[in-house]
Amino acid sequence: MENDSIVNNPLRALGLEGKAGGAGQSMMGLVMARAGLGKTAILVQLALDCMLLGNKVLHVAIGEGVDKTRAWYDDILSLLTDGEKIESIPEVMKNRMIMTFKESSFSKAKLEERLDDLVKQNIYKPECLIVDGYDFENNDQKSLEELRDFMVQCGLKMIWFSAVSHRGDKRVSADGVPAPCHEVDSLFDTVLLINPEGDNINLNIVKCKNCSVDPGTILMLDPSTSLIKQC
Amino acid sequence: MSKDLSKVRNIGISAHIDSGKTTLTERILYYTKRIHAIHEVRGKDGVGAKMDSMELEKERGITIQSAATYCSWKDIDINIIDTPGHVDFTVEVERALRVLDGAVLVLCSVGGVQSQSITVNRQMTRYNVPRIAFINKCDRTGANPEKVTRQLRDKLELNAHLLQMPIGLESELNGVVDLITMKAVYFDGASGENIRIEEIPAAMLDEAQKRHDALLEEVSMFSEDLMEALLEEGAVDPQLVYDAVRKGTLSLEFTPVLVGSAYKNKGVQSLLDAVRDFLPCPTDVVNMALDLNNAEKEFPVSNNPDDPLVMLAFKLEDGRYGQLTYVRSYQGKLAKGDTIFNRRTGKKVKVGRLCRMHSNEMEEIDACGSGDIVALFGVDCASGDTFTSEDISCSMTSMHIPEPVISLAVIPTDNKAQINMSKALNRFTKEDPTFKTFVDHETGETIISGMGELHLEVYIERMKREYGAVVTVGAPQVAYRETIGQRADFNYTHKKQTGGSGQYGRVAGYLEPMEEGEYEFVDKIVGGVIPREYISSCDKGFQKSLEKGSLCGAPITGVRCVINDGAFHAVDSSDIAFQLASIGAFKEGYLKAKPVIMEPIMKVAVEGPSEFQGSVMGSINQRRGMIIGTTEEGNYSVVEAEVPLSEMFGYSTTLRSLTQGKAEFTMEFATFKPVPKGVSEELIKKYQDERKNG
Repeated sequence: MENDSIVNNPLRALGLEGKAGGAGQSMMGLVMARAGLGKTAILVQLALDCMLLGNKVLHVAIGEGVDKTRAWYDDILSLLTDGEKIESIPEVMKNRMIMTFKESSFSKAKLEERLDDLVKQNIYKPECLIVDGYDFENNDQKSLEELRDFMVQCGLKMIWFSAVSHRGDKRVSADGVPAPCHEVDSLFDTVLLINPEGDNINLNIVKCKNCSVDPGTILMLDPSTSLIKQC
Repeated sequence: MSKDLSKVRNIGISAHIDSGKTTLTERILYYTKRIHAIHEVRGKDGVGAKMDSMELEKERGITIQSAATYCSWKDIDINIIDTPGHVDFTVEVERALRVLDGAVLVLCSVGGVQSQSITVNRQMTRYNVPRIAFINKCDRTGANPEKVTRQLRDKLELNAHLLQMPIGLESELNGVVDLITMKAVYFDGASGENIRIEEIPAAMLDEAQKRHDALLEEVSMFSEDLMEALLEEGAVDPQLVYDAVRKGTLSLEFTPVLVGSAYKNKGVQSLLDAVRDFLPCPTDVVNMALDLNNAEKEFPVSNNPDDPLVMLAFKLEDGRYGQLTYVRSYQGKLAKGDTIFNRRTGKKVKVGRLCRMHSNEMEEIDACGSGDIVALFGVDCASGDTFTSEDISCSMTSMHIPEPVISLAVIPTDNKAQINMSKALNRFTKEDPTFKTFVDHETGETIISGMGELHLEVYIERMKREYGAVVTVGAPQVAYRETIGQRADFNYTHKKQTGGSGQYGRVAGYLEPMEEGEYEFVDKIVGGVIPREYISSCDKGFQKSLEKGSLCGAPITGVRCVINDGAFHAVDSSDIAFQLASIGAFKEGYLKAKPVIMEPIMKVAVEGPSEFQGSVMGSINQRRGMIIGTTEEGNYSVVEAEVPLSEMFGYSTTLRSLTQGKAEFTMEFATFKPVPKGVSEELIKKYQDERKNG
């Protein structure tokens, strides 16, 4: 199973494959959208890309169960590989761990403790981290900064967050990052925004420090599968 | 003749160990006048309760754990079908779930939703079984039905709502407030048999009213009539609420939650009312059968007594008159003297006696209809067999049976034990298709194999208890498999001439891995290079080769053997010559086909306080386990992992010492996977040493 089997993988589309492939500075990215537009689907595609490049991924799902999160991977991979389940690709499976928290149980300290458990006992050393469901509205810049510093210390190559934006909230940052992340956008190297337009769903690249594409580029998503269409 | 099916409830009672299932069943039987005095369960721990239930069975001569215990409550007949709790008994659990129409999920008001409850709930969801929850042990210190209801929603994703409020909790538990009728219900008398209905205590009235309103609003989505009644803002007819709750329950969109304490005789009668009011009757449920003429394609059975008969044998029992087979009928009628077909064996069976289980005796009946649970006498069959009339060919369960994953040697202590053991094993293999037994020709030992350590332990215990067969038991062995990794050709000639008639046969072709299935033989011989009569000899030879692989002596699976060339001799070729040629050919091809050893991988879920999550993950990692995910809720966490079975022996002791006994785990078979190189080498070496040392 090679990464080539995924034609339109998002890392390649963004020119970020090198980041996940080699060593170097950590990169922090953000996928934003209104509820129900496919943030998790994009995160899972990013995670699969990292996994297929041989990186270990830790998927932290806040407010979701393990089974549901697994189902996302199964669904996306089966769409990409014509029906194959991720469970049947053992070498890929080894590169994924799912950690789920109830909203009320999640805290920076808890995540740090869990990551410590994994890394210090040499159980699992993640190279990419996906955080789906982080509450940006009730966490300030300082706590996010601390979280990032900790992740950098852990030697993570890539960290992807998701955030929910709201139609009614018109606040945006100078770079065009909408609320509730408009005040913390400086912490992110890459910001992607899922944007419906008529019958299409676009993936707007709002900000992209190390990408091969320029900010303002729009990728198209397949509305039924949330996969990136041929571009 | 068959009765009014709307007045029948086929239910199961499922619970996590020590949630009080035995006590609750006991009370149900008492209140429905099946037994005449309450016998206390003495042990407070899980082991004690289990032992007590067995003693109880003995003392009373009743079988609480029997296939279908029958009782009557008000105007309905309830068949309580035994649902084995442990996941080791996968096939049995699934079979039980096929048979019941609804279930009562018993939870401990302190322990709440525990690992077993999650497993059982998952299975019930898989089989679309409507359920009601009973939060038992509300008399215990720390009882919190609210918390348990929240867990039902969060952990089991059920739309669970309390239909009652406990009046007092812990030692103060007095009765319950019925949030539908808005009355207080007390259970008086030495055994709680006298129900007293009163007004709700003033102190609880406001809260009860609030919850009543919330409940009505919640269930109104299942009933337009109720919604209209609520809009009119007058008094709401409780029947409308009952109907709405029933509709919600049947559609699996609502789970009514009742509270009580079976031990203190509180709330059991209300639970029985709920079974009557909210759980489905046989005609409310859609059951699926598999069409044997159409690649096991699923189709719904009709429940119609005028359609061809379809019934499932779900449990066998040894009775005074021979084998008693419990069957559940799904459509059609069965009358005494009818001839029916066992679809597994293809054999015709004549139904001699037919009966329905009653309090302490059996009632002989002449006929039964769809939805009924009855017992047949003297019918030779295995558990899980489907009986139908001649004009329909279907099965209620798939013919696919999972392969056993663990085995151990059983050695009878004396001659008497030997005879009894044979009887017992004969019976168990009939009852449970995942339990297998055979004699190892090399060691002469009897080997039993099954789906887990506990699975086998239970049968050893049953051998002792029910058949008086005392056996010593060898160490459990993992049931490894061998398979091939790639296609490989073979071309082998078997030639033997030692005077007299010789042996000659040449077999050529290839082996290739199969994704699904265990073995397939493909004959691509053209031009008669191997005569037709010897083709089956080749098949036999290959099948013999599959019995023991050359790596570690484990059976070989997942191989397609294709023959496409060969040669014969007019005089020297024979059945045995081609069998031996095929065995030689297989050996030749097998070593070239990159053979690998496969081991059973178990899905393990460890549940316990979060503070131990690190140690739990560490312990799984040490056991070659792969952690799939972790779930954290409050101070509780669940670690899900896939771990090789060979590494799980003695895990309960390790886990206990790691977590001060606060964590527990469940384990079920997931799949077979190739063993890592190091382990494979070890197994090969061990096998070779064993062979060397005879």
